[in-house]
Amino acid sequence: MAHPMAGLKHLSNALATPDQLSNSSSSIDEVPSDLESSIRCAGAQLTQTAGVLLHLSQDIIAQAIVIFTRFWLGAEGGSLRIYSAKDVSAAALYLTAKISFQPTSPRSILNVYNLLLSPDASPLWFVNPRGPPKQPPAADTYILSEGGYQAARLVLLRIESVILRTLGFDTHVALPHTIALTYLQTLGVSKPAVSRRVLEHLNAALLSPQLLYVTHQPNALAVAAIYLATREEGVKLVDGEWWEVFDVDREELGFLVVGMRSTEGFMRKETEQWKDKAIPMVTDEVDAEIERRRMMDEGE
Amino acid sequence: MSVAKSRWANDDPETEAIIAQRRREKEEKRRAKVEKQRQLEEASRVPAPTKSADTAQGVNGDVGPPKKRRRLSNDPDAPSAADEVLKSEEPKKQSSLLRFPVSEWGPCRHVDNFERLNHIEEGSYGWVSRAKDITTGEVVALKKLKIENSPDGFPVTGLREIQTLLEARHPNVVYLREVVMGNKMDDVYLVMDFLEHDLKTLLDEIREPFLPSEIKTLLLQVVGGLDFLHSQWIMHRDLKTSNLLVNNRGEVKIADFGMARYYGDPPPKLTQLVVTLWYRSPELLLGADKYGTEIDMWSVGCIFGELLTKEPLLQGKNEVDQVSKIFALTGPPNQQTWPGFRSLPNAKSLRLPPTSASPAGNPPLLPRSRFPYLTNAGLDLLSSLLALNPASRPTAQQCLAHPYFREDPRPKPKEMFPTFPSKAGMEKRRRHHTPEAPKRGQDAPELDFAGVFGGAPGGDSGEAGAGFTLRLG
Repeated sequence: MAHPMAGLKHLSNALATPDQLSNSSSSIDEVPSDLESSIRCAGAQLTQTAGVLLHLSQDIIAQAIVIFTRFWLGAEGGSLRIYSAKDVSAAALYLTAKISFQPTSPRSILNVYNLLLSPDASPLWFVNPRGPPKQPPAADTYILSEGGYQAARLVLLRIESVILRTLGFDTHVALPHTIALTYLQTLGVSKPAVSRRVLEHLNAALLSPQLLYVTHQPNALAVAAIYLATREEGVKLVDGEWWEVFDVDREELGFLVVGMRSTEGFMRKETEQWKDKAIPMVTDEVDAEIERRRMMDEGE
Repeated sequence: MSVAKSRWANDDPETEAIIAQRRREKEEKRRAKVEKQRQLEEASRVPAPTKSADTAQGVNGDVGPPKKRRRLSNDPDAPSAADEVLKSEEPKKQSSLLRFPVSEWGPCRHVDNFERLNHIEEGSYGWVSRAKDITTGEVVALKKLKIENSPDGFPVTGLREIQTLLEARHPNVVYLREVVMGNKMDDVYLVMDFLEHDLKTLLDEIREPFLPSEIKTLLLQVVGGLDFLHSQWIMHRDLKTSNLLVNNRGEVKIADFGMARYYGDPPPKLTQLVVTLWYRSPELLLGADKYGTEIDMWSVGCIFGELLTKEPLLQGKNEVDQVSKIFALTGPPNQQTWPGFRSLPNAKSLRLPPTSASPAGNPPLLPRSRFPYLTNAGLDLLSSLLALNPASRPTAQQCLAHPYFREDPRPKPKEMFPTFPSKAGMEKRRRHHTPEAPKRGQDAPELDFAGVFGGAPGGDSGEAGAGFTLRLG
């Protein structure tokens, strides 16, 4: 009955069009592209950390990061000068958890984000460049007041609607993680270190400035992570072009391997560039950063 | 120039120059293509993208137009015939890589792109109207989602409905074209293919029940669509005749995914408040919070019965009455036919008659007297779908393989299916006498089934064929 292509949606994703990749709403609003990359990457890390603190499973977190990433793409996507990255991160995580088997409450989400965005109490390097506080921070630096909660809740729910509208209500995200583990079994690789490394590569790729998750299908991401992990762990795979068995051609594999490898360098550069100041996560800070750069340029 | 000049030909030299320029470009393109073709032949393998475009077009017509990738390879004047030759000559060496259907995302359009024609129906999760796409002129069904200021933001049922519909691309599942927005943030509409009928209205309209061959055609499609849903880990949870749409080409499509959701293995804890009462399975009525796709199969059994008799099979007035109607049809459960039913929350209060001489077979056959025109194979299928024990019900896949569908009369070809005047297409409103699906957020009632069998053994006015007594009212 069902034709051969039916059901593949389960394993595949909507991908960004070339147009969406080359024009973002933020770039139209004159956000420099390196700033956009920095904020997007910081937002992904914020989502990841919040998900961990909320005890959400990694598939929900990863899906939320993909939704967060998609939101900013294209001229019709969200602009960093209109929507605050922190709000989009929170709403993406809330939305993804809501449709998963592990829903979470607005209050839990907002408590966690309040902590993570506190300039004094946050453990995140790009929010609190001085590093996590040595002494337990004062409670009022990270506890959300009831009034603050009510206001933040309205923002959370409004941004949830904005995300849904911007993505045309398509919340489907297929992930490469389980696919990769299946492929590893197929390839007869049973070394736990390899599996662990594969997952590390896949989770690191969520932060990639090359937006690998919105430009490549999960099977290709899985194959690239396996290729890298087995090389790093010195595990020999079958001879021949095994990746073709998983429907990935050499060219795509090569591109992805380079992309995944470059994430580490990118992150190093980021921590260097932003070591003394916070990455702007709200619109006002983005405006201020753009203004600061403009003044610097004029001063020269 | 070999082409004869038509009398429309423009003598303007500028235009001539442009035409010549275009021709040159085309020539260049063609040369490049021939060169590419030669390289391909050298490499002795067909490029995967070309193949993917072919499959995407051929097999997967219902997936949205793959824009991005296809343009690269699927030039309209590409020599596709040569590709064919290549393929047939070198079937061994080529590596054919599967390419996923390419889809994109983009913002919602505004509902003003549609002109509303008439109201069709108002269900528990929103109202539906017939509308016309202003740009294309196509007639669609527009369903407005009910979003009453929900404290948790966009209602999860609406999200699930959209998510499952977007993923369930199958000929027997209604096609969700897009989601559009109104002026307010919470005005959300689903744009779906319009079908002329729903099965409930159709059953009300026709004077005689469907022919056996027609029932098979309808049922096969319902089960086929359901098989696909279950294979995608989607439970529908509200199957009933009014949620099955039928068009004038004899095609059935499962609609209204307002209760649908993904399930898992092991099954997550789920609400029992699903499925419209008349189509609700005994394990749900007895309060099971772990259940699976078997609940959909029970509903299919109810739909099968309704197709046979033209009347809903089990029209309970409330949960307790529904349970007694079910047991009146199937006979009461016992430890052989349904091991473990006693441990379900609402079964504690259930008092069964002491001597329940249930009919033979597991699951027992339903009383033949209720379905006089059904063949033995048909009765076997119906009885297994309406097995009290969920584990005894066939899966959708097993159902499709049942001998009932292979014996005479064979399923009627869809093209031969009779057509009917459409109520939905006119200024008529569908009115249903079916109760509605339970509302989300209600508390599951604690039911007292002590009265199901009236407690009194021995017969007074029990229904024939059920082997126990029933006190009505």
